[in-house]
Amino acid sequence: MSDATASALLHEAEDDARKAQRGRFWRRVRRQPLGVIALIVLVLLAAAVWLGPLVYRTAPNRTDARNILKAPSAAHLLGTDELGRDVLARVLAGGRVSLSVGLLAMVVGLAIGMLAGGLAGYFRGRVEVVVMRLVDVFMAIPNFFLILVVVTAFGNHPVTVIVTVGIGFWAQMARVVHAEFVKVRGFEFVEAARALGATHPRTMLRHVMPQVAPQAIVLASLGVGWAILTEAGLSYLGLGIQPPLASWGNMLQNAQSYLWLKPELAIYPGLFIAVTVLAFNVLGNALRDVFDPRG
Amino acid sequence: MPPIRVRFKLLRLLTTLLASMAVVVASAQEYDPNGSLTFATNADPTLNPWNASAVIESNLINTILFDQLVRYDPTDLRPAPGLAESWETAADGLSWTFHLRQDATWSDGEKFTADDVVFTFNEAILVKELGANRASTFTPVDRVVKVDDYTVVFELNRPFSSLPYYLAYYSGMLPEHVLKGAENPLMVASFNKGQPVVTGPYRVGEFVSGAYVKLVPNENYWGPKPKLASITFNIIPDGNAQVAQLLAGGLDMVSITNPALLAGVSRNPDLEVVRQSQNIWYFVALNLDDERFQDARVRQALLSAIDRQAMIEAVLEGYGVEATGPIAPLLQAFYETDVAHWPYDPEGAKALLAEAGWTPGADGILQKDGQRLSIDMPTGQFGYLVPATLLVQGYWEDIGVEVKVETIEWNAFIQKAVVNRDYDAMLAWWSTPPTPDQSGYFASSAAVTGNNIPNYRNPELDALWEQGRAATTLDEQIAVYRQVQEIIAQELPYLFLWYPDMISVRNTRIGGMQDINSAANFQYSFDWYVKP
Amino acid sequence: MTSYILRRLVLGAVVLWLVSVVTFFLIHLAPGGPSSAVSFERTAEEREALLKQFGLDEPVVVRYGKWLLSAVQGDLGVSYNQGLPVALLLKQRLPNTLTLGLAALVTATVLGILLGTVAAVNRNGWLDHVVSTITTLGMSIPGFWLGIVAIILFAVELRWLPASGIVSSGKAGDLVDRLKHLAMPAGVLAFTLMPNVVRVTRSALLEVSRADFVRTARGKGLAPGTVLFKHAFKNALVPVLAVLGLVTTALFSGSVVIESVFGWPGLGRLAIEAANGRDYPVILGATLLAGLVVVVVNLLVDLLYAAVDPRIRHE
Repeated sequence: MSDATASALLHEAEDDARKAQRGRFWRRVRRQPLGVIALIVLVLLAAAVWLGPLVYRTAPNRTDARNILKAPSAAHLLGTDELGRDVLARVLAGGRVSLSVGLLAMVVGLAIGMLAGGLAGYFRGRVEVVVMRLVDVFMAIPNFFLILVVVTAFGNHPVTVIVTVGIGFWAQMARVVHAEFVKVRGFEFVEAARALGATHPRTMLRHVMPQVAPQAIVLASLGVGWAILTEAGLSYLGLGIQPPLASWGNMLQNAQSYLWLKPELAIYPGLFIAVTVLAFNVLGNALRDVFDPRG
Repeated sequence: MPPIRVRFKLLRLLTTLLASMAVVVASAQEYDPNGSLTFATNADPTLNPWNASAVIESNLINTILFDQLVRYDPTDLRPAPGLAESWETAADGLSWTFHLRQDATWSDGEKFTADDVVFTFNEAILVKELGANRASTFTPVDRVVKVDDYTVVFELNRPFSSLPYYLAYYSGMLPEHVLKGAENPLMVASFNKGQPVVTGPYRVGEFVSGAYVKLVPNENYWGPKPKLASITFNIIPDGNAQVAQLLAGGLDMVSITNPALLAGVSRNPDLEVVRQSQNIWYFVALNLDDERFQDARVRQALLSAIDRQAMIEAVLEGYGVEATGPIAPLLQAFYETDVAHWPYDPEGAKALLAEAGWTPGADGILQKDGQRLSIDMPTGQFGYLVPATLLVQGYWEDIGVEVKVETIEWNAFIQKAVVNRDYDAMLAWWSTPPTPDQSGYFASSAAVTGNNIPNYRNPELDALWEQGRAATTLDEQIAVYRQVQEIIAQELPYLFLWYPDMISVRNTRIGGMQDINSAANFQYSFDWYVKP
Repeated sequence: MTSYILRRLVLGAVVLWLVSVVTFFLIHLAPGGPSSAVSFERTAEEREALLKQFGLDEPVVVRYGKWLLSAVQGDLGVSYNQGLPVALLLKQRLPNTLTLGLAALVTATVLGILLGTVAAVNRNGWLDHVVSTITTLGMSIPGFWLGIVAIILFAVELRWLPASGIVSSGKAGDLVDRLKHLAMPAGVLAFTLMPNVVRVTRSALLEVSRADFVRTARGKGLAPGTVLFKHAFKNALVPVLAVLGLVTTALFSGSVVIESVFGWPGLGRLAIEAANGRDYPVILGATLLAGLVVVVVNLLVDLLYAAVDPRIRHE
């Protein structure tokens, strides 16, 4: 059997396996109506916060001291806040920021975690020792202490908040990816691919990644929710996204003083945070079940 | 119009009489001898008024614990006898003599004498290396000399007519016999965080870090017998949580930092809102090292662009008065309303700016010689500074000024705005003793390194401040400070916003409180009682 | 085994040292300085005098060297803003955090295992969905928000529980008073931690229930409940134990916010106050102590892990 045939056979086998997986995959998706609903909710939310301002053109940061804490009206569909700003416009603007922070922080965490975990799990040896010890260090510092120190050090610029929150969960991500890599590395077709002379990057991308991806996607989905909650927590402590930029977190924080006067101010951002994070979590759990039917 | 003055004096006499009658009635009435009060403070206090960490969370507790040479008169905040019974200044104004009470003792039974005053100043406040609180306000004092056990002389390097006012401003005396010999008398942990030896009506009974400080009557107090079994300060960092605790019945009195929280208070019929005037003025400082702001017309325009009345309604729920200068209405004798006012007038503001050469450019932003009127306005997370800054931003944008607000964490804000003076505009406040002498916030010598935040320099004003310090009669002082206020209102070294009221909410079961301001109230804590 | 523990301890020490390096240099990058020196009303002269007292006129590297040297001798320095030894502050605060953490951990574990079991037994039944709704909510609501709502409900409206603090004055020895103060913060913290435990319990039980020995037992006609408790439960404890290590870390993170909401004088609040006030020695001390607890707990969990499941061998 020539190398070419072996390679062809290998691909064929992999493809068959994938096709079968795909069929089963869709069957499983259909068994997750909640997950589908969550996905729809998220798409709607994203559309609302990104496309909404094209329809609802009121400026979110426009203050008006003579029109504070007003009830909903034609001019302000959800009324105004403590500085006379339009609540609906701020909910939308805050949503853009919160979702962006959540998604970008997840991307940062995922990227660093995948890279670190992947390298460690793939190459083993010294790389693994160094990377995984670093992971231990980060796991040993309670996230929030680390985030607190970093945000204090570098200020509350949105990029800082995103990177910091992302760094907050790279270690967890790296650990999972590392474990998957170690497992997958032992699979026959990966070893076969290596034996057939595939380069390291090619092997990792073509053969290992697809096996690791499901786990990563699940973690990513849960990670977005976690990141949004973390930003809200930071905002509560005055360390999150800073005004004049709105985020659901800092809106909630501001609203605290107005609980007696106008509780709606707290209800809107609180509700949006809860629904969004809930949707990401439900989606994550559904994905986990889809990818790993035994759960 | 002299009749008004006379009537005013009569009125004051009447209120004094009424107040003293009220006290008589109260003391004739029974009070609950087991009554205890619970207040809140936002962090672990430092029980040494001069320690650099002793700030807002400690000031009022220290006022109860540490008697001062001078107190505020609770009717008009003029200096009144405390540990010192009387005082006088020399004809040249270069020294003050204080005669101390002979019956005062420390809580451990030792006598309070001139040695304690000498020690507090010569070995703590005046030692520059120690960095004592408010040390810079005492720079006119060279040293304090003991004449006999109950007489001290403050030797000055220049006249300081406001000295008694400053001695009434969070200036508690320290015990020489306890702190002498300490490497740093301001940093003795067993004192500052434990059981300080004090001269006040109450002493520390129990200090549980992070939880509460409980004060109990000082058996050795020289004044009237305290009427409470204890005063506890619960440590609650968050203002919202303080109000929640108040509503839940766990606190007897809370100072409200955010007037929006008052909305919840009306839910509890046992609570009353007390509104007190205070010596605090909020301002926007423009960095006067920036030549764009050196033209007074630009400053006047930027102030007229701000609807201060609307801001007071929005941010303070109306609990404040538009400010005209650094001397607050509380200083009845000195406060001058007949000065330039700069009411809200955006059109007038634009016209003034046009006169100064600032006209709208292609992008709608005002420009002059190709330079845009774009203002960096950093702000810090503290009180209502952020919302107030955002409102100012809105008003300035209305007249074509670009404003970039950057909100940073409080400590970083101080580093940037105060230490480095790295800002174009910033909104903050000064809290001062009730004296018209506010030179520390305006004098050229206080620019760059001191409390003259906008780095304002005006030799004419500098001379007036010195004249005020040297003035020996009240009429002379009133004349000087009238001039000061006129110049300041015209020149606007700061854009004056408002004098906020101090709002506190307290349980109606409390009696004997002085409502003029909180510092004075806490100086007379021995009068407090719980109604039976 | 001894050499394994030894190796883990050395590793733990290295981890803590790295934590100290990261924290020290990061926090010194922050603009500003100790709030006692860098405050609004402080003039330049006063400020410099204070910074010099704290030794902050020296280069950062020198300061780290000095700190490390005294730290290895057990001296963590003196707080800039409180004037007390850092070790004393930590000693005052750690028990409070541990009380809160332990209460939350026990509540979360007991409830979590219970709910996880209920969910597993009723797999895909309505009870499973109820449990999953509760846990997903727990993961989705900001802890501080839940705290504020709880304060309004239980303290202000119902007046059952105190809104804030750890104990009422003069009642230091009163257990009931302490429990009342503990109830809300521990409850809220537990609610946010529980989902992890529920999920792991549920999936571990389901995994075990597919194992051969359980199938055999079921084949013998035993009732599902009996099978579950007799055979599956013990084996399912292994992964649940593992998750406790993770939860401990989450606990410290969660307590930072919860302690602020409820005015609970613990390590988390100390860390926030220290970070805001640039109290460098205190931040370092608090972070290191939190790290130490996490390292020790993880080690204990791993050892327990080995004890419960003999298949796991530590080389």
